[in-house]
Amino acid sequence: MHGWGRRPPAVRSAHRRGTPGRTVSRVVAVEPVGSPGGDCGSADVAALIPLVRRIVASRVPDPATADDLVQETLTRVLAAAGRVEPGMLEPYAIVTARNVVTSMWRDQDRQRRHQHRVVDLRPPEAPDEDVLAREDRAAVAEALTRLSDRERSTLLAHEVSGQDTRALAAELGSTAGAVAAQLNRTRARLRVEYLLVSERVEPPTERCRPVLLAISGGDRRRQREVDAARHLLECDLCARLSEPLVGRGRSRDDAVRVAVRTDADVVAARQAAREVATRLGFSTTEVTLIATAVSEITRNIVRFAESGEVVVAELQEPRKGISIVARDAGPGIADVEQALQDGYSTYQGLGLGLPGARRLMDEFAVVSEIDRGTTVTMTKWRGET
Amino acid sequence: MNGGPRLFSILRQGPYLIASIHTALDDSQLVRFQQDLVERIGSDRARGVVIDVAALDVLDSFASRTLRDIGEMARLRGAVTVIVGIQPDVAFAMVELGMDTGRVVTALDLEEGLAELDSHVTAPPAPRT
Repeated sequence: MHGWGRRPPAVRSAHRRGTPGRTVSRVVAVEPVGSPGGDCGSADVAALIPLVRRIVASRVPDPATADDLVQETLTRVLAAAGRVEPGMLEPYAIVTARNVVTSMWRDQDRQRRHQHRVVDLRPPEAPDEDVLAREDRAAVAEALTRLSDRERSTLLAHEVSGQDTRALAAELGSTAGAVAAQLNRTRARLRVEYLLVSERVEPPTERCRPVLLAISGGDRRRQREVDAARHLLECDLCARLSEPLVGRGRSRDDAVRVAVRTDADVVAARQAAREVATRLGFSTTEVTLIATAVSEITRNIVRFAESGEVVVAELQEPRKGISIVARDAGPGIADVEQALQDGYSTYQGLGLGLPGARRLMDEFAVVSEIDRGTTVTMTKWRGET
Repeated sequence: MNGGPRLFSILRQGPYLIASIHTALDDSQLVRFQQDLVERIGSDRARGVVIDVAALDVLDSFASRTLRDIGEMARLRGAVTVIVGIQPDVAFAMVELGMDTGRVVTALDLEEGLAELDSHVTAPPAPRT
């Protein structure tokens, strides 16, 4: 634009002769500061300021950054002023300005490329974190006091003092396996007590604690014994508290649970059943039969009970099959035998719900108790293939 | 309950309505489908309706009853209803379930369905001349 484009070759030769490096420090080290040419150099450099500013501004849009780069350029030019031939200071400044801008771009680029390395993945510390941690510690401490002395001392010996189960077994006159099992039970109890303490609630019924314990321990047999699934439908507190417990206890993902409240959940339930059945290798016809049966019994939950759940599980023994349990805590069916007959309907349905579903499945059982709810369990086995 | 996007479309084709269900519908959506369709039969003065249920994953007792009701209501409104696109698996399940599919006319696909309507509908207007 200003005809400088022609000059760089000369500048380059000047570089070759005098200043090899670009870095200020090296130049300064070579060139003592109080050199005779210094004074006249600074005046010349001051005259170059508008020029340098123009060059930098045309390349760098951000005024603050541009200002920094102008300063940097001037510093370098000033440091080199003594060595540059008279008359060559201007081209030298131009090249320096360009170099400074380029190296800034390069730095930015490098930074961008390496940015992922410095990302801090830890979540920022929330202001209430400290308080929460303190409450947490208090809750754990409180929960620990609710354990029996023996449970507590064993747990602490294992978890805090780091004693292994064999050493503990020798101490307690027991076996390592028994100690490990006991530790598991203690941990399950601690989780339950911790949740109760941190929610500041006492379980409303006698059944709550055993149910929560069975869930916390992940013990399916015990869960069946205390009829945990039904209790969770009846007891809001336990339903809420059990969520984190269920999450950690579930080691196998062969069971799908669908909460049922509205019409849309009927579709969700039958699609869940469809997925599981397809995974098990049922034919598309069988899958449709299963989905239809699930649709029928799930609709009954929506119709007659406020809420319930459908659990679809894979069966591997004695052969592959699918098990569907639909459970609600609704009013119950007064006469199950009658409800299983074709054409019996309490709303304007076809009266096909239960009897139809029974025809579609291999095994079918209805357990109902007035005011306690209804559980429909049905199974379809895969063909012999 | 009746909010949200329509999961079915009702299109006019001459004197007929072609109602397509696009995905698995739940009960309230089926009821909405029924209401919309019966209304459109009046407003469009349709003489026949083809209902395409190919996208329904199951035709359980409620869906079957709804379709049967639609057929009955349409008849009372002066239109013939043909159900098309019942998948073989779905048909099997309906029979196993013990569904009484009633007097609703069915056809294999849309083409057959329209032909079926033609045979039902073109005849009656003739005597008027």
